[in-house]
This record gives sequence, C-alpha cells and structure tokens, in this order.
Amino acid sequence: MSLLTLDSVCKSFGSTRIINDVSLDIEAGEKHAIIGPNGAGKSTLFHLISGRYNVSSGTIGFQGKAIHNLPPYEIARRGIARSFQVTNIFPRMSVFENIRCALLWSEGYRYSFWKLLGRQKLLNDKAFDILEQIGLSDKAQLPSGELAYAQQRALELGVAVASGAELIMLDEPVAGMSNSEAENAVALIRRITEGKTLIMVEHDMNIVFDIADRISVLVYGEIIATDTPENIRGNARVQEAYLGEVPSDA
Amino acid sequence: MAEVFVFATLNGLVTGLLLFMLASGLTLIFSMMGVLNFAHASFYMLGAYFAYTLSTFIGFWGGLLIAPLIVGCIGAAIERFGLRRVHQSGHVAELVFTFGLAFLIEEAVQFFWGRDTKNYQSPELFDFALFSLFGQEFSAYRGFMIAIACLIFAGLYFILTRSRVGIIIQASISHPQTVANLGHNVPLIFMCVFGVGTALAGVAGVIAGPVLTTFPGMATVLGSIVFVVVVIGGLGSLPGALIASLLVGLLQSYAIAADVGMPELLNLFGVSFDSSHPLDDLWTLNLPQIAPVLPYLLLVLVLIFKPTGLMGNREQ
Amino acid sequence: MKKQLPVWLGFALALIVLPQIFDSVLGISILNQMTIWIIFALSYNMLLGQGGMLSFGHAVYFGLGGFMSVHALNLIADEIIVFSITLIPLVGGAVGLIAAVFIGSFSTRKSGTVFAMISLGIGELIVASSLIFADFFGGEAGVTGDRTYGPPFFGIEFLQDAEVYYLGAFWLFVATLFMYLFTQTPAGRMANAVRDNPERAEFIGYSTRRVRFISFCAAGLFAGVAGGLFAINYEFITEENLNALTSGRVLLMAYIGGLGFFIGPIVGAVILTLMNSLLSNYSEMWMLYLGIMFLLTVLFLPRGFAGFIMMHQTAWQNHRLGMLILPYLITAIPLSLFLAGFVGLIELSHKGDDILPFFGLSLGADSMLSWGVLLTLAGTGALGVKLSRPRLNAAWAAANTVAKDADGDAQ
Repeated sequence: MSLLTLDSVCKSFGSTRIINDVSLDIEAGEKHAIIGPNGAGKSTLFHLISGRYNVSSGTIGFQGKAIHNLPPYEIARRGIARSFQVTNIFPRMSVFENIRCALLWSEGYRYSFWKLLGRQKLLNDKAFDILEQIGLSDKAQLPSGELAYAQQRALELGVAVASGAELIMLDEPVAGMSNSEAENAVALIRRITEGKTLIMVEHDMNIVFDIADRISVLVYGEIIATDTPENIRGNARVQEAYLGEVPSDA
Repeated sequence: MAEVFVFATLNGLVTGLLLFMLASGLTLIFSMMGVLNFAHASFYMLGAYFAYTLSTFIGFWGGLLIAPLIVGCIGAAIERFGLRRVHQSGHVAELVFTFGLAFLIEEAVQFFWGRDTKNYQSPELFDFALFSLFGQEFSAYRGFMIAIACLIFAGLYFILTRSRVGIIIQASISHPQTVANLGHNVPLIFMCVFGVGTALAGVAGVIAGPVLTTFPGMATVLGSIVFVVVVIGGLGSLPGALIASLLVGLLQSYAIAADVGMPELLNLFGVSFDSSHPLDDLWTLNLPQIAPVLPYLLLVLVLIFKPTGLMGNREQ
Repeated sequence: MKKQLPVWLGFALALIVLPQIFDSVLGISILNQMTIWIIFALSYNMLLGQGGMLSFGHAVYFGLGGFMSVHALNLIADEIIVFSITLIPLVGGAVGLIAAVFIGSFSTRKSGTVFAMISLGIGELIVASSLIFADFFGGEAGVTGDRTYGPPFFGIEFLQDAEVYYLGAFWLFVATLFMYLFTQTPAGRMANAVRDNPERAEFIGYSTRRVRFISFCAAGLFAGVAGGLFAINYEFITEENLNALTSGRVLLMAYIGGLGFFIGPIVGAVILTLMNSLLSNYSEMWMLYLGIMFLLTVLFLPRGFAGFIMMHQTAWQNHRLGMLILPYLITAIPLSLFLAGFVGLIELSHKGDDILPFFGLSLGADSMLSWGVLLTLAGTGALGVKLSRPRLNAAWAAANTVAKDADGDAQ
C-alpha cells in the first residue's frame, strides 16, 4: 500500500480551479520530486496535503487513513512534516528553541505547563544533535531572525524534520541560494531524509535529477506525467510544456 | 402605544444614523489601512468641542462648516506623523497607538477646555417642533440631524462610486500595491482617507454635541458602541455597518421606550418567580435597565456564532 | 536555572529590605500598590508579550477576583467560613481562572484585532452587567470588607499597612516565580512560537487555539491573584476596577515597561505606580504627561524602557558602554531644559491666577516675562537636543560596531 495517496483531488478558489483531478501514489522510502512551471499549483498541492487548505473534492490518504480536510496540527501529528518556500520560522526565538519546539509534540510533551524544559536532558540532547546535523550548533543562542538567509533555510529544514516525521515535504528548499550553499543544502537533505519518504518541489533540474527516484510534472493544476527521471527527460509532452534547464547529462 | 413606537423609531433612527456616521469612517479606515482606529470617537469629541468654541464666535453654522475641517486636518496630520511610523511595527503597535491617542485626546480636551460640560446650543432656527403626534413633539433639530446624515451619506456614496477619486479609493482598499504601480500616491490617499474619516466623525460631533451633551467623557460613552457596531456589521463592510448601526440604535431606543419589566415578559411565557429567588436581581429587571447591556450582548453573541459579523468578509 | 538563583535571591532580598528604606506611610502605600500592579501587569504580559494576544478587557479577571475576595473577607468576618486572609489571593486566583476558562472557551478562537474586540466587548458587557447584579457588585457604591476580622496569622491581624506589605510581597514573589517558570515550560514556549508564527506552530503539531487558551487561563488566574491582593489592601472594590480604564492602565504598564522582556511589566508597573502616586500630588496634569509619554514610547521606544536598557547590551558586550556616557550627558542637558520649559508651559496654562513656583522663580500666567522665560527654555532645549543628535548617533554607531571573528560572522 502506498504511503500517500491522492485520489482525484480538485481545489478551486471561487470559480478558479487551481488543482484539477490530481491522482498520485507515493511509496514509502521514495524520493519524489514535483516540478512544473510557475503558477502550476505546486505550493497549493503542498497546502492541500499538509492541511492548510481543504480539498474541493477528492481524497488524500496517508498510511491508509484519510487526512484531507484535517487541521494542520492533526496532520503533523500523524507524521507529515513540511518546509516552506518563504522561510517560516519563529524569528524572535533562538535557533535552539526553534528546533526544540519542533520536537516537543513528538517527544510527548503535549501542552504541559509543569515540566521545566531546562531539565529535560533527553530532549535538549536531541535538539543539539539536530542542530549539529544542520550545521548551526555555533549559532544556537542567536535569535533565528538574525541568521543569514542560507542558514535560515537550513533551520527551516531542521524544524521540518525534527519531529521525526515519516513523510517530509520540502517546498523549494534551495531557492535563493548560491551554488555552494545549494550543494551543502542538498547534502544536508540527503542526510536527514535517509530512510524517510521525501516529496520535493524544486526548479533546479540538477538537484531534481540528483535526488529524485520519480518525478511528477504539474502543469496548470494537472499532472501530465509521473515517471523516472530519464523517462521524464525524454517525455515530449513535458518538454513541450516546461522548457526548464534540462541538462543533456545528469 | 402607537406614538411610543413612532417616536422610539425616530429616536432610534437618529442614534443609528449618528452611529453610522462614526462607523462608516471607522470602516473606511479599517478597510483601507487595516487599522482599527481606537481614537475614532475622540475625533467625534473634538468636532463637538471645536464647534462649540467656534459657535461662540461665528454661530452654529460656522462651526458646522469649519470644525470638521479642523478635525480632518488633525486626523491627517496624525496619520502622516504618527500612524505611518507605527505601521511598520505591526498591527498590535497600531492598535496600542490609537488607544494611547484616545487617552491623550481626552486629557488634552480636559486641558484646553476644562472638565465641565459645555453649553453647546443647537441653533435657534430649529427651536420648534417638526410635528407632534398624540401630544408628543418631535424636535426639528432631530429632523435636521437625520437630514444632514442622509445628505452626507448620499454625497459619500456618489463620490465613492461615481467619481474618479472614489474609484481610486475603492481600488486602493483592495489592491494598494497595484494602485501605487499605476502612479497614484497611495500614502497620500491613505492620509486623505484618514482625514476624511475623522472629519466625518467630527461632523457627527458637531451635530450631536447639543443633543448628547458636550463633555470630556463623550468619546468613551460612544466609542465602545461604535466598535460594537462595526464588529457586528462585519469588519470592513459599509453596508454591514449601516445595518448594524440602525439595528443597535433602534434596539436601544425600543428597549428604553418599552418600559416593560422582565416579570411581565416572562409572564407572557407563563413563567413567574417569587422575589426570594437568588437570581432575583435578574428577574426584576426592566428593559430600560438592560438597554446599555444589549449592544454588548449582541456583540458577544455575534462573535461567538458569526465572527465575521453580519456581512463581513475580511478577516485579519 | 542555577545561574539565575542569585537574581531570585536578590529579588527576595529587595522585597524584604525596601519597606525598611521607604518606611513612611506614603512609601509603604506605594510599595503595596506596586505588589498588586506588578502581578497584574506580569499576568497581562502572558497574554500580550508572550502570547501575542492583545486584550482590552483583562481587568475583568482582576476585578472578578477582587470582588469575590472582598465577599470572602465578609464571609470570614461573619464567621460563615473561616480561613486565614493570607489565602485570599488564592480565592481571587480561582475566580480569575474560572472566568478565564469560561470566557476563553470562545474568545480564543480568534486572534489579532477580532480577539481584541471580543475582549473589549466582554469587558464592557461585564461592566454594564455589574450595575444590574447589584447584590454581587454592590451597585455604584461597590463592596467593602474588613481584613482584620480574620483569624490571626501567627499573631498578626493585619491592622498595619506594613504587615499587609509583607503578605503582598510574599504573593508577589510566588506569583512572579510561577509566571516565570511557566515561560520555561512547553506551554509557555509554544505560546511564544504561536506568537511568532501561528501557522508554523500548527505545522509542528500544536493547535494554536489550545495553546492560546492555556495562556489565557493562566493569565486570568494571576490577574485574579492580583485582584485578591487588591481586596486585602483596599478593603473596597467597585465596578471601576473591572472597566476598560483599568484594562487600559495595565496595557500601558506592560507596553511602557517593554513587552518583549519578562521584567518589562515589572519596570512599567513601578514607573506608572510612582507617577500615579507622586506626580499626582504635584500636578493636576499628570495624566496628560502620562498620555504624552505613552504615545512617545509607542512611537520612539517600541520595546519599552526595558527594551531601551537592553539596547545597550551589544555595547556592554563590546565593553564600549563608556563611549556613550559623554554623548548622553551632552544630550541630557538640553533635554532637561526642554522638559522643564514644556512642563512649565503646561502647568502655567492651568494656574489661572495662582503663582507657579518654578525653580526658585515665581511665574504668573498674566506675566509676559513668565511665558517668555518658559518658551525660551523650551526652545533652547529643543535646539540643543537637535544639535547634539549627530554626536550621539555617531557614538551609538561606534559603540555598537560588532567585533567580527575570523569567518566574518557576528560574534
């Protein structure tokens, strides 16, 4: 059974249809990329899966259970985490606190107002581990709003994966980064999504071909192709619809 | 019974239209700038006070003409030098700023004019009864109030929907960025809208001052009700504000006029309590006593069951 | 926490020592007021500074707690129920909590402006109802009680204000401690997260509504505790203590002190209590000054007085704080002149026929010379401030130049 199943999902805003009859199956452990021209509806698709928007029709199932139209926190608790295209962290809290907050629910702390966080050794150690993984250990006490852009993106990633979610969705994780920064980011993404399922929206074809097991192409709210990278590269419809920077050699 | 109903309706109409004069400016400012101007009723107060002072020199009509202009200029200046600066610190800062402004204006009024109630007279021209029904008179001044209010609204409506300026303003409400890109000076528009909105509140003060009394607490008295009206009608909706203003105005007017006690009302439903019941206070109420509570009760109910208000569409 | 032990010990020490220093009747009275308002302001900041929820109706929980506490005092005096009045703040807290649970159940559904409006509406509703439920609220006259009829607490019958102070100081310490500890818990931290980014908070598994509800209830509880202390201190409470003015006052305190810091409301409460008690003796216009000060704070010191102090942190870390002393002094002198002149002008406008004593001079409203002196003073001061600004700005920039490490990153 697939980990994530989208079945005839449609989404309209008023009379404008943004997502049109999208069906998709994502297998556990798969690294799946979603590409497509700007305005195709990729972020909207993410919002539908992660619970920010309700579907107009169709169903979304995760681990066999329906998750469409559930509130975002419910979906997050079931093991789906996401990052955002525009950095979406807690700017007035320290880098360390950002990660620690992301860990709280999965570590079982719920809404406790009687446990002092300073005393929670396991939790704090775990947070520091994640900080090390994303390379921000030395910035732990800085307010996250003061980080440089690439570092904020790294933190964004850290917050997304901290909870140990089974399905990780990254929305243009390397947008706005220089080549070297992007390289580091990709290595980071590989590391932290090892053994997990990844859905990634990305424009940079090098990265897409590097990481993805399969690629879906979204154009005007419809998936016109879902296949392995090589087949997508050769797909005439894709080439026609999306003149991206497809390199001649991967 | 009939004359009670007629007069209550007319008085409710006066109150409602007055409320709308305030609520419309508030809604306009909120729609455009996202700022809920806590100090809006303070401009209403300033209008009354300026008109009072001017009327001692150049009569009521001079006051009616000039006072709103002064208030509008002050409003524009506050937008330009205060609000615009605070805008970048976020909505909370804006609300707190307008809150502080309301506080400061009340203190300033007491500073410049003193704490006593001012003898602000309505013009002698209207010192007659417009009509009398079953022995009760309806003062011409109240009729004048209704007339002025309707005139202003008609004018506003035409300006907003038929004139070029109005179209630009309407566009700026929903798409300030686009309007700016078209070459219009959006900050200037904001300043003017704020000025006009506050001037409108000032007009309300000018004509209401003689009737609702001119004293330093007049802003607080009306201020919270105006907010109630705006929220009930739906933040950002002018038609909603109109409906809500009339609703609240009429509701209060009927409640005060219908000197019906709770026991009688309950008796209608076949319920009666003896006086030793613990909630005795509640059951021995009469409607006029409840009247001040009604708008807030309505507010809470609306916020629970339909938080966007009766006709609201814009959520913060 | 270990690093902060000295701070808490210092706090406790200060609480014990202060009444010995300021032992006049006025001094003790002011200290008593401070204990009440500090707790109230800190409770408000749980909503605004830590939770991002702007409320215009927080006095409701303070007032309800206070009313129930005065009734409790009367029940104790009538020996219907008997417990030490030292526990009255708990009564207030319980009532504040219950009210917050009830009201929070629907009001925390929304945030931002709508939440603020709901809080205002509820506040007005309760104030308006207070005149109806005259039994509980005592109508316009309010409710009075007597704290001295309770069972003695180790021999103390709380006849003296000083005795009441130590009770208040105890509750102040306890309440502050608990409110601080709350910020260190998951609920407290998530409140910060929800404040910063409610959307992201949901995506890490938390219902923003629930988080806000918990903060709301905690804030109501501590506001009620402050109300209980109020009841003990004044033995009298009216519907004024529930109304928008009181809510506004605590908002002022938190804001002027600085929303973003835990000690901010403490600073604000101290400043405002002092202004209220001391300034009102010297000038009828003190509320006007308060209003001006508040507005200026919102415009120019959005992080409050605590924020202003914390702004110097970088300079302190760079050991360059000394660079600022001279420029501050140079600006302070004309600033003081301006303030003196400005205040003088306002005071003189209201003296009527009286004489205004002004630093040894006697100024009269009818004397052109008097006005001239004040205007010159204010004008010179303003000019001096304007001239000294560039120097201050330069010194500030220099003091805040952050030393960079080898990577070029800020240290």
